[in-house]
Amino acid sequence: MNNFIKLPLILSALTFLASGIVMFSESATHEKIAEQKKLLLLASLKQLIPNDLHDNDITQNTLDVYESTTLGHRKKQVIYIGSIKNIPKVHAIPVTARNGYSGDIDIMVGIKANGDITSVKILEQHETPGLGDLIEAHKSNWIEQFPNQSLSRISPNNWKVKRDGGQFDQITGATISPRAVVDAIKQALLYHQEHFLKTKTEKKQ
Amino acid sequence: MSGFIRKRLIEDNAALVQLLGLCPLLAVSNTVINSLGLAIATVFTLVLTNTLVSLIKPVISKEIRISIFVLIIASVVTALEMFMNAYFHELYLILGIFIPLIVTNCIIMARAEAFASKNTLWLSIKDGFFTGLGFALVLIAIGAIREIIGNGSLFNQAHLLFGKFGHYLEWQIFSDYQGFLIAILPPGAFFVLAILIAIKNKASKNT
Repeated sequence: MNNFIKLPLILSALTFLASGIVMFSESATHEKIAEQKKLLLLASLKQLIPNDLHDNDITQNTLDVYESTTLGHRKKQVIYIGSIKNIPKVHAIPVTARNGYSGDIDIMVGIKANGDITSVKILEQHETPGLGDLIEAHKSNWIEQFPNQSLSRISPNNWKVKRDGGQFDQITGATISPRAVVDAIKQALLYHQEHFLKTKTEKKQ
Repeated sequence: MSGFIRKRLIEDNAALVQLLGLCPLLAVSNTVINSLGLAIATVFTLVLTNTLVSLIKPVISKEIRISIFVLIIASVVTALEMFMNAYFHELYLILGIFIPLIVTNCIIMARAEAFASKNTLWLSIKDGFFTGLGFALVLIAIGAIREIIGNGSLFNQAHLLFGKFGHYLEWQIFSDYQGFLIAILPPGAFFVLAILIAIKNKASKNT
């Protein structure tokens, strides 16, 4: 009968101790974790939104977006906006390619106000190592063909890999991953054209 | 080397002889730096849990000992996860799920149950450290072999662990190396582990 009281008491006392350890670590680290996340985000946005194209705090100036049909989003995503004197200069638009070789490819496309691409970044992919994963910037220079391109230079009909009759290089041995990425970038550009692009008539005004 | 250490590093090596904790061992060992990150985390966890279990062993009774071990291990790993998230953020992102999964590493439960709950504080700390080290050495060896064969490099992405200094450690052994894919993919882990176990068995037969 003694155990009936003793054991739960021991267990609860130790639970308090364990919770204490976790609470202490949480309070000791949560500021640092938030800071690290922000740093990583800023570092990853650095190429998409170059320093000379914004003077705002990018992490604060955002827009929620959820476009499952055009941009392939599976959950609510965030568009980051770089602006100078409150005039938007660059939009970093998240887009998910659902037609990769294995699983989704999460991509971020930086697009200037005039429709030019600043840079394209692969955020997450699970393509075959050595073949499909050459879409990543640190594995090959394939992704470097996109900066400074725009839909006004290459029409949406030609915005394909060469094998499909388009303008962009593919990767030898891997067609599916580049095709998915190229198409996703096109979707991001079309989205930008529809929502953010300054039309020529507006510029004249 | 005293028998105590020798037993934990070689004769009863957790990974090569007891074959415990194989899930993280096989999954994370594709580069040295990933291996090293998980190895350090595992050693830390083992030392901390062994310390705590040994400290509170007077109040542990037989009926609830497993719950208590689980409680302690889970909270230590959660705390460790937060610290890694804060100070080695990128490495934490790479190791991802395998940090919280240290909880399920049988080595840790085994040492708490079989050793720390019956021995003095100092012995338990030593036990945790050397058992962890035995596991860590195998993990790092597999990581090194797979990285050399698969990528032709060593200490790739060392800056994740060592900061700026890490860039000097990165070492491309074979330039123009095309890579050997299977060593990086999961089967490579099984092959390398199997070879290490075979070498260990051969060596202990000869002595």
